[in-house]
Amino acid sequence: MTPTISTSALSRRYHGQVALDNVSLSVEPGTVTGLLGRNGAGKTTLMRIITGQEFATSGTVQVFGQPPAENDAVLRRLVFVREEQAYPDLSVAQVIRVASWFYPNWDRDLAGQLLADFGLPAGRRIKKLSRGMRSAVGIVIGLAARAELTLFDEPYAGLDAVSRQLFYDRLLADFAEHPRTVVLSTHLIDEAADLLERVVLLDHGRVVLDAPADDVRGTAVTVSGPATAVDEFVAGYPVWHRQQLGSRASVTMPGPLDVAAQAQARALRLSLEPLSLQQLLVRASGSSADEKVSA
Amino acid sequence: MKPLVNIARYHLVDRVTYLALPWGFMIFSFLVNLVIASMVPSAPGGYYTGGLLTLYCFLFACGALSMSRSLSFGLMLGVSRRVYYLGTALLVLVLGAVYGLGITLLQAVERATGGWGLGVNFFRVPWILDGPWYQTWLTAFVLLVLFFLYGMWYGLVYRRWMLPGVAAFIAAQMLVGLVAAVALALTHNWAAFGHFFSATLSLPLLLAVLAALAVLLGLGGFTTLRRVTI
Repeated sequence: MTPTISTSALSRRYHGQVALDNVSLSVEPGTVTGLLGRNGAGKTTLMRIITGQEFATSGTVQVFGQPPAENDAVLRRLVFVREEQAYPDLSVAQVIRVASWFYPNWDRDLAGQLLADFGLPAGRRIKKLSRGMRSAVGIVIGLAARAELTLFDEPYAGLDAVSRQLFYDRLLADFAEHPRTVVLSTHLIDEAADLLERVVLLDHGRVVLDAPADDVRGTAVTVSGPATAVDEFVAGYPVWHRQQLGSRASVTMPGPLDVAAQAQARALRLSLEPLSLQQLLVRASGSSADEKVSA
Repeated sequence: MKPLVNIARYHLVDRVTYLALPWGFMIFSFLVNLVIASMVPSAPGGYYTGGLLTLYCFLFACGALSMSRSLSFGLMLGVSRRVYYLGTALLVLVLGAVYGLGITLLQAVERATGGWGLGVNFFRVPWILDGPWYQTWLTAFVLLVLFFLYGMWYGLVYRRWMLPGVAAFIAAQMLVGLVAAVALALTHNWAAFGHFFSATLSLPLLLAVLAALAVLLGLGGFTTLRRVTI
């Protein structure tokens, strides 16, 4: 099957600054991919090139098997919800009405439901909305458009926790009924972790990790307890990170651990904790950006 | 065609900017002129104003806004830059035709009422917006489209290169004018140039020149939009 998105050696440089460096990846239809990485890692640039809003310096990108730039056949099948989308001076209802004209699969009922869920006042002008409410407008458009390819770039700036949960719930529910390809860039990794089937981690414009989320979870554990016991336990294993506070130490090492190792840890009264996706990715995009995390 | 129409509709959702303000302000300007005309002693050749220019200036502003303020969301709607530009151009043609017709009708009323009973020529601009109704309509249409497209290009230059870009854009146009003036002077053609305007240039020829200029502005704007990133 044609991948929904495929990029090959994609690079983007701005005045000598490298925003994307040799990015090759492929997103399969009907999947939810998390595009993760620190500020300035290149997430937004990548999404803008995928949606034809920005141009690559070198390399190629294909969406639905065709180059997306200035390609209406591709563009009408996707929706891109940007962080801090700028709107003209219109009311919420007007913006939603305009969006409904352009997306062939637009669901009016869903849009109305989402407006109510997020408590968006239909008659209010967009520029009078709070930051969070403006983000919610983008989310409503992104979900109600039911576009075959839906990209969210940090869609919830300023949204409170309840609204964010609402976004995850609605996305999951609607995705189950109307499968589509979703790419979500986010900093709130643990919040969104359950949603993601695949994670792509960018660092300084490069892909440092591209793997199924399930494979990534459990690839590292933190062992903590008395320093001497911890050191005895991890002897012979690679150690990613070690920190000590008084007589207690905590070590992060590759996982998962086999049964024997788990029994040994119990015998030494050590506590074992799998690293969350977020902690794992913080490690992966930290100082050791050059090492690829193997998943 | 449907995406083009939708882009035109998208602009028209903002009725205040595209309908109410241009006509509201022009009518305000018209009323101010009527009041003034009623107070001053009537001139033998009738009372002339430049007030109609307000409508054209507002369309210039609409053009600039359509390519700056409205662009980001417009390109979120699953259309290419090309469709966005052509859809806006469609709006320009429709607005130009309708507004031009409005001017033509008001000019007819003006003529029929002897300049609103006061000898006022607001909707009739001698030599340019003059003559039979279809000629007035066509000239008004071409000029409205010209102003709108010119505004669109400014909006795009601003969108792409911000204020330094707009300054450079204005400077470049002044340079073109300067080079033309110097060339006329060096080749001693100023007299012929003046003669061309006073004698040779007929209204159909003027229309053709303006239409060509409008096409040129449209192409310039489109070229600028091609590489705009949002």
